[in-house]
Amino acid sequence: MKSAKLPPPEIAAPTPAALEQERRVLLELGNDITRVREKNDLLTLFGKRIKQLFYFTHTIVTLIDRKDETYVPFLLDNEGSPIRSHERYQEMVEARFSLNEPFIQAVLQAEEPISFLLEDIMDKPKSPAFLRVNYEKGVREILMTRLMKEGQPMGFIHIYSDKPGSFSNEFRNVIKGIAPQLSSAVSNIIKNEELLKKEKEKSFLLDFSSDIASVRTKDELARAVRAALGKLNPPGGFVIRRINEDNTTMSPYVYDLSKTHDPEILRALESARYPIDDGLQNRILDSAIPLLFNVEREIQRGITSAYLQYWKGMGFKEVVGIRLRNGETNHGILFLDIGEINIPLLQGICAQISIALANIMANEQISKKQEEQAFLLDFSNDVTQARTKLELQTAIFRVLDKTLHTKLAMLRVIDEDGLHMLPFMFDRTLFENAKVDFEKMSAHRITIDETYAAQVLASKDGLVFNVEEELKSGNAYAQLWKTTGLKNMYSLPLRVGDKNIGTIWLLANRLSPLILKGICAQISIAIANILANEKLLAYKKQLEVENDYLKEQIKTIYNFSEIIGGGEQMQKVYRLMSLVADSNTTVLILGETGTGKELIARAIHNTSPRKDKLMVKVNCAALPANLIESELFGHERGAFTGAIDRRIGKFELGNNSTVFLDEIGELPLEAQAKLLRVIQERELERLGGKQTIKIDVRLIAATNRNLEEEVKAGRFRADLYFRLNVFPIPLPPLRDRSEDIEPLTHFFVEKYSRNTGRKIKKVAPKVIQQLRSYTWPGNVRELEYLIERSILLATNGTLENVYIPQHADAEKKEQAFLLNRSLEEVERDYIIETLKRCAGKISGAGSAADLLKIPGNTLHSKMKKLGITKADYFSN
Amino acid sequence: MKIVVIGGSGLIGSKVVAILRQGGHEVIVGAPATGINTITGEGLAEAMKNTDVVVDLANSPSFEDKAVMEFFETAGRNLLAAEINAGVKHHLALSIVGVDLMQNVGYMRAKLVQEDLIKRSGVPYTIIRSTQFLDFLPGIANQATDGNQVHISNVQFQPIASDDVAAFVAEATLAAPIKGILEIAGPERLTMPEFVIRYLHDTSDARQVVPNSRSQYYGGEIPNAALVPAGHAKLGTINYEKWLHNQPQKV
Repeated sequence: MKSAKLPPPEIAAPTPAALEQERRVLLELGNDITRVREKNDLLTLFGKRIKQLFYFTHTIVTLIDRKDETYVPFLLDNEGSPIRSHERYQEMVEARFSLNEPFIQAVLQAEEPISFLLEDIMDKPKSPAFLRVNYEKGVREILMTRLMKEGQPMGFIHIYSDKPGSFSNEFRNVIKGIAPQLSSAVSNIIKNEELLKKEKEKSFLLDFSSDIASVRTKDELARAVRAALGKLNPPGGFVIRRINEDNTTMSPYVYDLSKTHDPEILRALESARYPIDDGLQNRILDSAIPLLFNVEREIQRGITSAYLQYWKGMGFKEVVGIRLRNGETNHGILFLDIGEINIPLLQGICAQISIALANIMANEQISKKQEEQAFLLDFSNDVTQARTKLELQTAIFRVLDKTLHTKLAMLRVIDEDGLHMLPFMFDRTLFENAKVDFEKMSAHRITIDETYAAQVLASKDGLVFNVEEELKSGNAYAQLWKTTGLKNMYSLPLRVGDKNIGTIWLLANRLSPLILKGICAQISIAIANILANEKLLAYKKQLEVENDYLKEQIKTIYNFSEIIGGGEQMQKVYRLMSLVADSNTTVLILGETGTGKELIARAIHNTSPRKDKLMVKVNCAALPANLIESELFGHERGAFTGAIDRRIGKFELGNNSTVFLDEIGELPLEAQAKLLRVIQERELERLGGKQTIKIDVRLIAATNRNLEEEVKAGRFRADLYFRLNVFPIPLPPLRDRSEDIEPLTHFFVEKYSRNTGRKIKKVAPKVIQQLRSYTWPGNVRELEYLIERSILLATNGTLENVYIPQHADAEKKEQAFLLNRSLEEVERDYIIETLKRCAGKISGAGSAADLLKIPGNTLHSKMKKLGITKADYFSN
Repeated sequence: MKIVVIGGSGLIGSKVVAILRQGGHEVIVGAPATGINTITGEGLAEAMKNTDVVVDLANSPSFEDKAVMEFFETAGRNLLAAEINAGVKHHLALSIVGVDLMQNVGYMRAKLVQEDLIKRSGVPYTIIRSTQFLDFLPGIANQATDGNQVHISNVQFQPIASDDVAAFVAEATLAAPIKGILEIAGPERLTMPEFVIRYLHDTSDARQVVPNSRSQYYGGEIPNAALVPAGHAKLGTINYEKWLHNQPQKV
């Protein structure tokens, strides 16, 4: 290396005036330097002052970087530099020149300023390029001076001249003298710049902080972040991605991708869910420091996440990723499209974004919770108002749709038997794709011991079945579940207190367990209420019916407490009754109206083992024809128009008791067939029902008709007749048991005198005689009413008159009626009848006398005797 | 090649940097003073750009158990994360012979964590486990001194000169990653008291060495042969005498 040439020694000593000027210039320069705060002012002032004394073209300051043993331009002379027009100027400004070369090493070794002729050194191997660049712009000589700090070189001041020999000894001395001042000035500038930068960052963060402190929503966050990052240098796009609820994916939350205007890409980015463990996102989340990565390199690394391709397409090359973390929880990632990292600034920004994000998320969660709670409250309202299954169903479907976005797969309720689980409610629309299967499956009655039901009932908070897994494990239901395309089957036990009342099944991809639990608790209560309500109604109805029977029983209690009559005929009846009472045999009681058929039936029931339960009486004649079946067998809700409630039929009501079918002869043929089946099979189906119900009833039928004749006439089914006619008990008419009339009379007198409050102590023998001679077409019932009437009409304590009906109807042809007349009456009636037929002609051919085969005079005298006037035979 | 030497201003680091620069490589000295901080991550990403090899020779500024662990864990994670992003092709770190046998010592636990981080990072690596440096001898004597006596356990010892360490590190830096552990040691194996006796004698130190059989190193219980390589190791060329000769003479 060729050493620097020293200028020739000075010939003449400097004049005092020159020295004075130099002193003044240096003093001014020293003053200037202490005032310098702006970096390029230093060179400008330096140049201006020194140029008053010496000649040079321009000057620059370079700084040493220990990191890689280089020196880099720091202060540039923007006015004097002739190389600014050189094509490599910009390259020179940005270059890092190695310290490992002879030229700069010579400068480092030199204690004093050292000068070089450019042409001597610029082409030496490893010589820095700026030497040649300067030379090409006319510069010929360079004076290099070390700037020292704490005993170490920190940089250099380069002084250039286009005139060789410009750097006199005096010049060198001056430069040597001011070098320490320049060093401290440069140090100050560096410190000042650092301070300014820090200050700028601080105020940036402060601004950002106050912006972000007011952020409450996602949109506000986006605005604040966009405004802040827009101030960064250089501004680029950014994306904040948030960790989704599933904790396995991330989705863009707030972003500014102004580099793309392709709505399709934006939409794809926006709606995407990227798995966290994609090889990049997880790296960033695991890293405490911001990571700078190259998009192309990450793609080459094999990371297939779509966003990298989009970024590449948008021209993102280097991206910084920083995790957004609050305490120990990662919330997301901030991606910035910039190529450099200012750690303190980024960490400041991210800390604030993290807090804002956490706040927003907490806010969102709270408002979501509130919404859910409000909805649950509404649901609670709806549910408490639900009195019927339909109202409940509407409420349940609505809450499932609104809060959980799912449909009810199945709700089963444990039956009263505590074993079976019946489908209570389900949404048909859910399994539209597999309707057939579902109907079949839901009709299938399961018990609480069924595998899945048992698991659910045993679980505390319900179970989640993964559809795919269940499918693999061969769950038959899973096939059906799969048709919905939903991933999980949520099943929860419905409980009231500790008591299981059923199970609920919901198909969904994901449900919030808390809200699900809340809903189920309410559904449980609602169902329990409805079931209790239904049960209550049923009990109420049963009680009402029982009450009716009891009333009826009370009405007749005196009647059957004792069956009056000890005559031979009745003895026969008693014997039959005692024979049949203990058995379950069907009894057919035959007898005229008023003979006490119901009394006998009750007596049989009351002496049978079934006497503890109420006998159910059905009056077949009193039923409207179209309701007979529902009356007898009951019906399901909606079995026919107007069937609003389920109704329990008489047969079901009389289960384990006796059903008394009064007036069986009046039963329509259709109902006869059904009845026959019940009697034969001892089981029935409610109208509109699918279930058959086993029943155990004892039948007692009664009729006043002659069933054999009815059968012949085709009005009564023969098979039914034979079924009923197992044990007939014929009741004698009252006229055949006249010996019982007296005790019956006394019984009724006593009963009604007590009821009416009249004290009848005696019955006149005449009255007894009258009663015995009457034929009693209305049998005992007629006797009872007759006595009642007579008691009311009696004037004193003795029953002296009875009002036996007299000839009430001339047309009556009944034997009993005819038998009740005297010969005179018969004779009179017959003569009137004949006269009517003969149009009032008494004698002569075709006359009444002719028909009666008596002489006309005889007829005349008879008519006179019997008091027959024209009015009798010409009336009507 | 572009090589970043973390801890490049330290005892071994500066020597390695010098050797590598001598070889004409672009070497970046990573140290907080040069604006590259593995704890805060400052300057790390920029330094890693286009870097081929990273040599991690950094040591914890504090030797307290918790601080050491935190240092090696944080620095290791940050450094390796930045390397992965930048596509660095070789990570080289300096560890200690017997590090896995001395896990009762906090510092060793931290070094093993550092090794594990490297092994799991996916970056091709070379871990060099070295024995103690000859340069430690004065320190070992000082920490064991009680009055005029120096209590040293009779453990095996095979110290290596720091120049040898730097040479081995530089050599491995320029070689392909071995994806494993390379052990290096000094040319002589004696007991620790023997080395200390020689050193005190040669430096005219009046203190008396009192060997004991407690098997301790810096107060921690260690297996007798933990400080020396168990299997094959590369041995340095500078023995005790040569090393001592090269030491600046005390005035």
